[in-house]
Formats: sequence, C-alpha cells, structure tokens
Amino acid sequence: MVGEELAVMDASGLRAIGAGLAVGLTGIASGIAEKDIGSAAIGAMAENEALFGKGLILTVIPETIVIFGLVVALLIK
Amino acid sequence: MLSPKQMSRVTIVGHKDILGQTVDALHGINAFHIEDYNDDKLGLKIGKPFENADDVSKKLIKIRSISSFLGIKKGESGKQNVESLFQELDTKLVELDDEVSKRTDRKSEIENKLKELDTLSKELLPFSTIPLNLDQYRGYENLAVLSGIVKGDIEPEVAHITQSYELFSDVKSGTIVLFVLKEHADKVSNVLSEFAFKELRVPEISGVPADLLKKTEQDIVNLQNDIVSLNAEIGSLKSKYSGFILASDELLSIETQKAEAPLRVATSEHTFMMDGWVPNEDYDRLARTVEDATGGRAFISRTNVTKEEEAIVPIEYENPKISKPFEEIMDLYARPRYSEIDPTSLIFITFPLFYGMILGDIGYALILLGLALGIKKLVRSDAIKPLMNILIYCQVSTLIFGVLYGEFLGFPLAGLESHGHYIPGLINGFETINLFPSPFAGEMITYPVHRTHLVMTMIVVTALIGLIHINIGYLLGFINERRKHGVTAAILEKGSWFVIQIGLLLFALGYVGYISKAIGIGVFLVGFVMLLKGEGIKGPIELPSLLSNSLSYTRIIAVGLSSIYIASTVNQIAFDMIMPESFGPMTIFAIVIFILGHALNTVLSIIAPGLHALRLQYVEFFTKFYEGGGKKYNPFGYIRKYTEE
Repeated sequence: MVGEELAVMDASGLRAIGAGLAVGLTGIASGIAEKDIGSAAIGAMAENEALFGKGLILTVIPETIVIFGLVVALLIK
Repeated sequence: MLSPKQMSRVTIVGHKDILGQTVDALHGINAFHIEDYNDDKLGLKIGKPFENADDVSKKLIKIRSISSFLGIKKGESGKQNVESLFQELDTKLVELDDEVSKRTDRKSEIENKLKELDTLSKELLPFSTIPLNLDQYRGYENLAVLSGIVKGDIEPEVAHITQSYELFSDVKSGTIVLFVLKEHADKVSNVLSEFAFKELRVPEISGVPADLLKKTEQDIVNLQNDIVSLNAEIGSLKSKYSGFILASDELLSIETQKAEAPLRVATSEHTFMMDGWVPNEDYDRLARTVEDATGGRAFISRTNVTKEEEAIVPIEYENPKISKPFEEIMDLYARPRYSEIDPTSLIFITFPLFYGMILGDIGYALILLGLALGIKKLVRSDAIKPLMNILIYCQVSTLIFGVLYGEFLGFPLAGLESHGHYIPGLINGFETINLFPSPFAGEMITYPVHRTHLVMTMIVVTALIGLIHINIGYLLGFINERRKHGVTAAILEKGSWFVIQIGLLLFALGYVGYISKAIGIGVFLVGFVMLLKGEGIKGPIELPSLLSNSLSYTRIIAVGLSSIYIASTVNQIAFDMIMPESFGPMTIFAIVIFILGHALNTVLSIIAPGLHALRLQYVEFFTKFYEGGGKKYNPFGYIRKYTEE
C-alpha cells in the first residue's frame, strides 16, 4: 500500500513543490518584515523628507530573505 | 578623486566700514562657506542687517506674490544686465504692481458678481413658470402670500378653509404661490405643512421671473466672457514681464542675501569678524579679491583644518565630471566625513556594473536608453539630470551585458541545443558556441552566456564577485581606520578580516588534502583573536556576515532570472495566441499583451535592478568602511541664471 502511494509521487513534482515553498514562504517572511519597516519609514519621511534614501534602504534590507529563497529554489530545480 | 576637497579655515577681521565691501566681494566669489556666529562667549554680538534689508525684502515679497499670481515658472530666459535692471526696478515694479492689482481687483469684482448672479438665478428658477411680476408678491395690507414648494395637490384642502384665495402653481416643480386673507393665513399654513411645504425666498427685485432669469443668465455669460478676456490680458502680462520678474527675483534674492549677511557675523562696536571655510584651491582668489575690494584694510588669516575641526568642516565633493552624477547616490546615504574616503568614483564603476549584470538585455537597454535621453532633453530640471545620467550609464552597461548574454526582450539571440532538444534563437544561423565546461554542476560555459542554463555557475560567480567587492570595502576600511586611529587599530579592526579569510581558504585547501588542516585553523584563530581585540564582542557576532553578505550578491543572478522569466512568459503568451491562426482579432490582442507586458517589465527593469544594485552598495559595501555624516558645503553666493554683471 505504502509503496504504491510513494510510487505515484513524482520526484520532479516534489522538487517543484519544494521550490515553490522556498520562494513563497520567504516572500511572505520578507513581506512581514518589510511591512513594519516600511510603515515606520513612511512615518519618518513625513517628519523629514531627507530620510527618503535611508528609509528606502532600510525597507529593502529584508529583501535578502526572499532572494535566498529564490536561490534555494533555483538550486532545487 | 577619492577624498573630498581640502579646506582651510579662514577668518576675516576688519573695521565695520568695510563690511559692505567685504560681503560684496565674498558673494561675488561664491566660495566662502560662512560659519554662522552664534556664540557670545567672546563678548561679541551678532551684526545688524544692512539698512537696505527691509526695503529689499519688501520688494522681494511683492515680486514673489506677483510671480505666483501670474503663475510664472522658472525656465529659459535671457540674461539681464544688473545695472540697468537696478535703475528700472523701482519704476517698473510700481508699474507692474499697478497693472496686476488693477486686474486682480477687477477679477475678484467679477467673481463676486458672478456669485451673486448665480444665487439669484437659483432663487428665480422655481418661479420662472409662474407669470407674475415679482412686485405683486409683496406690499399687501390684508393679504398673506405663501410661496414655496409642496408635494401634491393642495387646492381642495385650501378650499375647505376659505373660498377667497388665489393660487398659482406649477405641477412639475411643485412651486405654489398662494394669496389668502391674513386671517386665514395660520390655518392655511398648517394645512400646507401637511404637504411638506418648504418656503422659498422671493428675490427683492421687480419683473417677471422668466424674463429676469433669461437676463441673469445672459449677464452670467457676459461676465464669464469678461473673465476669459481678463485671463488673456493676464497671460499677455505674464509673457511681457516674465523675464523682468525672473531677473528681479534673482537680483533681489541676491541683495537680500547680502543685506542679511551681517546676521551671520560677529561684531563689536567698530569691528567685525567673519569665520568660515574655503577650498584650498580658491583661497588665493578669495584673499586677492577681498583685499582689492577693501583696499587691503581687511585682515585675512588662514589655518589648516585641525583634528577637532574635522567634524564641522563642510564637505565638497571633488570628482571628475563623468562620475559627478553619482554624488546624488552618495547624498542619498550621507556625505563623507572630511578625513574619509569618498567612494563616489567606485560607485561609478560598481553600480552600473551590477545593474548591467542583473538586467543584461539589449532590448530593455535600448528602450530605457531612449527614455533617459528623451527625458534628459525634455525636462530641464537640475534634480532630474543627474538621475538620468546615472540611468544612461546603467543602460550602457546593460547593453554590454546584453551582448554578452545574447538576450533581446527575453528572447535568446542564439539558438541552443539543450538536453537533447533545440531552442531556436531570434537570429537565424546564430548558434551558441560551447567554450569550456564549468567546474560546477556539469554546466557548459557558452557564448552567448545563457543565464537560464548556467544557474549554478552564475550563483558561484556572483558570490565570488561579492567576496571581491566586500574585500575592497575592508581595504578602504583599513585606510580610513589608519587615518583616524592609526595603523594598529586598522590592522586589528579591518586587517583581521583578511587574516580570517586567508585562514578559511587555507582550511579549505586542507580539507581537500593539499596541506594540513591545522595551518588553516591556526591562521583563522589568529584572525579571530585580532578581531576580538579590535572590535570587542561585536566582531565575532559579525563573523557570519562574511557568508551572508557574499551570498547576498547572488541576487545579481536571482533578480536577473526573474526579469528574464517575466519577459519570456509575456513572449510565450503573446506568441501562443498568434501562432495557430492567420491575422485576426487575436493577433491584435496578442500585440496588446506583448506591449503591455513588456511595458510593465520595463518599469520593473528600472526599479528592481536599480534598488538591488543600490542596496549592494549601501548595505554590503558601505558598512565595511563608510561612516558619513559630513556637512554640505554651501558657499555664500549665488549662481546667476537670469542676470549678469
């Protein structure tokens, strides 16, 4: 029984699922992290427009998470 | 090139008599950064503005209010001679003010009138269907007039109360005018209130409403025409005086700046003392000009920047013209400090390099290059120009990498044989050439470089590029640290990172079996202890950043691939739609999808590679050496655009 079910699972399909999870979950993680930084950065910019550059940079810092996810996905493929 | 302009601290002392000449001379040179005097420990006071300050700033306010009323925008305009402008300024300003205020008064008069007429026409409208002169609505002794709007037919109800009434009504709008005896008025109005009676004000004029309404509407049209012609007059005033306004705005701004200069200067009863900074290269010119202007009566002293003063020196970049636009990118982060390395010229190389490596597509490069050149030509704003220059540099780099990658809007230019099946290229007969096998994942290095088929190799290559970039950062950090805290601190804080990396490399060699692993571990430990000594506990905590930072550069390939996949998906959707049929409605739809999809990806092609290339500079590179926080060099002076001396 168990053997039969396993045989149905296609290896390349599992890889695709894994790659999808890697990008999707890290994307959510970056989103959560950036949301807080972004709203704080907008708040700071409302006070002082010169902070635009720093705000932008701080906001994209968690972007690394999803980049790593993307790299992992590429490696799985 | 790699450091900001060298400055000198300059103090100018003299009798108050020559303050005016000194200020004039300094303003003309436009190189002296005044250090505002705000410290009264010396027993000196801040100076008083020159006498003309009040007058000049009043005129400036007037000219600016006129300028904003006329809606004058800064643009191209011929230069005017200062002397002649000064002579005619007062008379012309009065004349202009007169002309403008005449029109503003007239305009607001007309606008008020229009408002009144508008209200009147709204009041008249309900009565327009009732053929009664408005005079007949009032002036009765025994009659009450009820005018307003009701819902439904009131006549039977009113007839119940009294037979002596006169009713005019318009069924469509529900307007009624009811004349009853005053003694019945209360009862009737009670009845009316059951019909949701809403009283209307009767305009206090005489005439038949329908005629009056017609006349009012005609009046409104006439007044609107008046406004149109008035606006045309204002437009012609604008074109007639815009050169004068721009020039005199500039002239008066300059005069105000000069007149208020004493507010930044320390004075005693008879003397003044100006403190500030000047770039070394401009010092001689400054000294000569001030001496000429004051007949040698001003005493100028110059000192070199001391260590304590380094924190307050204003910073002016000194870069070749070609890398100047990248100063904007520096300013977005922070200006360098005086003793620090100014990395503008390095960013000039690495920013377009990373951008090009990420995008690497001939099609997008050409589109964006055209766009940037077009915007640069059309928009004459000083803020946009450097950004467009940066974009142009980036597109040149993208074009080079596009040729290297052989990509055009997501299509491969060359045909490729891969895993047994053949992918045709955009150019017929252009085939991919195998060069040599890559050491990673059994991939083959080819020309053109197909990024989609060389993922593993590209990941390793980009991480290595990152490692090199980071090490350049440590090297710069070493130089900065040596300047600030000496060689020992530099070796411990930044040199330790090199030792650690060498240790790791030796360990890797040992792991493969060339040398003993112990050598690698030993070197690594030496580096580790140095780092601990140099940076404290913060050092070892940052150790993993060596790995995470260089892995972060893999975004160069990752973001690039995502851009390719978006482009090729758009291509696939568009071409699958055309392929099966000959020309038809689907073809148009496919073309629309093709254009929209690539337009979207073009926008993304500015944002994504730009932001990521920028981030690699700011986060991965700058943190290794850069502190920033220098003050902007803002010389006392003005760059004349509309006037000349």
